[in-house]
Amino acid sequence: MRFHRWYTPWLLVAPALAWLLTFSVWPAVNTGILSFTNVRTLTGGRFVGLANYRNIVDDPQVRDALLNSVLYMAVCVPLLTLLPLLLALLVERNLPFMGFFRTVLYFPVVASAVVVAVIWQWLLDQRGLVNGLAQQLHLTHEAIPFLTGRWLLLFSSISLTVWKGLGYYMIIYLSALGNVNRELHEAAAVDGAGIVRRFLSVTVPGVRRTMILVAVLVAVSSLRIFTELYILGGSAGGVGGQDVSLVMLIQNAAGGTSGRLGYASSLSVLLFLVTIVPMLLLARLNRKAEQ
Amino acid sequence: MHSRRLLTTALIGAAALALTATGCGVGGGGGGATASKTVASDAPITGTITFQTWSLKNDTFTPYFTALIKSFEAAHPGTTVNWIDQPGDGYAAKVVSQVTGGSLPDVVNLPPDIAYSVEQAGGLLDLAKNVPTLTADYVASGRKAYTYTGVEGTYAFPWYLGADMNYWNKAMFTRDGLDPAKPPTTLDELIAQAKVMHDNSGGKDYLMSREPDLGDIVQTGTDLMNADGTKFVFNTSAAAAMLDKYRTAYAAGYLPADVLTNTYQGNNAAFLKQEVAWTTGQGNGIQTVGETNPSLAKEMVPSPSIGTPNLNVQGISVSSKSKHLALALAFAQFATDNQNQVDFVKIAAGFMPGTTAAADDPAYSKSDGTPAGDASVIGYEDLQKAVNFQPLQWTQDMTTVLKQQFALAISGKESSQQALDNIVSKANQLLSD
Repeated sequence: MRFHRWYTPWLLVAPALAWLLTFSVWPAVNTGILSFTNVRTLTGGRFVGLANYRNIVDDPQVRDALLNSVLYMAVCVPLLTLLPLLLALLVERNLPFMGFFRTVLYFPVVASAVVVAVIWQWLLDQRGLVNGLAQQLHLTHEAIPFLTGRWLLLFSSISLTVWKGLGYYMIIYLSALGNVNRELHEAAAVDGAGIVRRFLSVTVPGVRRTMILVAVLVAVSSLRIFTELYILGGSAGGVGGQDVSLVMLIQNAAGGTSGRLGYASSLSVLLFLVTIVPMLLLARLNRKAEQ
Repeated sequence: MHSRRLLTTALIGAAALALTATGCGVGGGGGGATASKTVASDAPITGTITFQTWSLKNDTFTPYFTALIKSFEAAHPGTTVNWIDQPGDGYAAKVVSQVTGGSLPDVVNLPPDIAYSVEQAGGLLDLAKNVPTLTADYVASGRKAYTYTGVEGTYAFPWYLGADMNYWNKAMFTRDGLDPAKPPTTLDELIAQAKVMHDNSGGKDYLMSREPDLGDIVQTGTDLMNADGTKFVFNTSAAAAMLDKYRTAYAAGYLPADVLTNTYQGNNAAFLKQEVAWTTGQGNGIQTVGETNPSLAKEMVPSPSIGTPNLNVQGISVSSKSKHLALALAFAQFATDNQNQVDFVKIAAGFMPGTTAAADDPAYSKSDGTPAGDASVIGYEDLQKAVNFQPLQWTQDMTTVLKQQFALAISGKESSQQALDNIVSKANQLLSD
């Protein structure tokens, strides 16, 4: 009996391939096609050339969304690349109650993003806990507009993302730290290297690839941010609609019974192009690291 | 080698078929042939259909619908009506998926805006063409809500109608030095009394508690669209003056500070907590509040809507793709005939039937002397002059822009005129896309 016919491997991968083509490749291709049309949710459309892309250029909300994404990335990437590493270094030690602290730090990851965002909403509201405390302690006379100020809302959302992401990336670093040679640390200590020197010369090179991976993951998720901004600022994007992300704009454009699927598709293509940049950067950095 | 090429070709063909089967292409849509279908008056009424309602399956309404269907099936042997009910949230999305998936129920409860979108996709039967007595049997305001500019026909039987009216908290009025027998009847009076309430309560009580919307623009006498319904034109000085008044009131603290934010609890919740002395609702507002908060219900004083009341209307449509059109049409007509609508509004208190026979019934205009009875009569009277403000061309996207720009104007970050110009400009761009 022969099993090694030429088509055997194709048959084996066929189900996965069909799944991939049907639910990933074709929707992506179709999105590209739709981006050149004015299709709506329930009615057909026609080819409109680059009109949707011209609308993107003219849309001030897209500019706001891109600016917000860049800021989100600029703040989240360094914070979520370094802070989880420092936390991982703290909790990797075999000290009493470390298991408890690891659990506490990981807890925000387990909690639903919506639940966490709603809790933060209650904390930061005009009549929320933070404003209440600030006013009780006479730190401020008026409520701080965490959820209504253009920039305060954005940075409240960034703080939420960082807080929620710390535990997740800490776990990734914990596994990476297990691969750092302990003898190098001991040798460096014997040579008189202090804790900072050992961190920079032994730990960081040991987890460099993981740091690159984390940085890219954070960058991509920052560019695709939705839940935190949506819950804290609402679907309109805060007072004045400037606290929006590209994903929120896609959702707004495609929603309802007369959603503009053509325009939403062109925004999706833009989001794809924007998020692919960090991925290409990862490939480049990986290649350099290997060299 | 030949068999290998053949298999490769077959695999590619199968993959291409899978791809095209899943793709949602460009095209389709439009009313066309399906909407203009005619149902022969002598067509046999047989078969099985599905009837869909919106959030009406509960202890109050289930017995009504069960009896309604049983009665229809008994009158038409050989027919079966399967009743399904969709939850309140996400109804538009559910209907969209039913239309795109080709599974829209034969008879379906749709509000005018969703019905418009389904009609645009050719999914509804023109009732004006198939029901000769439509004009005589159903009220004009209800029919108008399902008759669309530039589209021939009427796309639902008006089912039950309601109009917004006001409810005031008598205890808060009295406590803050206002006369509950003389509630505001204009925006200026509302702001003046809001000031009195604010000043006398030390800023703890509110009379105004909601952002303005399209309806507030209409109340200024401004037309939302031009005569042929092709452009929005509501960026008038009168509308700007209305927004200016809201801005001044907000700055003075007559509205809750968080009214413009996503975290705002909403006017109704604030009214139930007795933080706010004004809310709007249907004619059954006092009974509804009384079920959960009897002490507040005793303090509620009804009054007619400020300006022209907003019309809320629900209709029953027939899917043009139904395989049993005659049966679907007969059932939709049966469910919305005068007797069944009168029976329905007995349990849907605060609403009125959409039939002309019921609209002329003097029983609806007599109060039993209680505030709840007065509210029912006010609701009936408001209904006679109520208008559905929102143009069908108005989309969710446009509402988002309006909320954003109104928030900027009221919080003083942008002039009212600029905000209105921005909304009109963006809405017209979205309209032409």
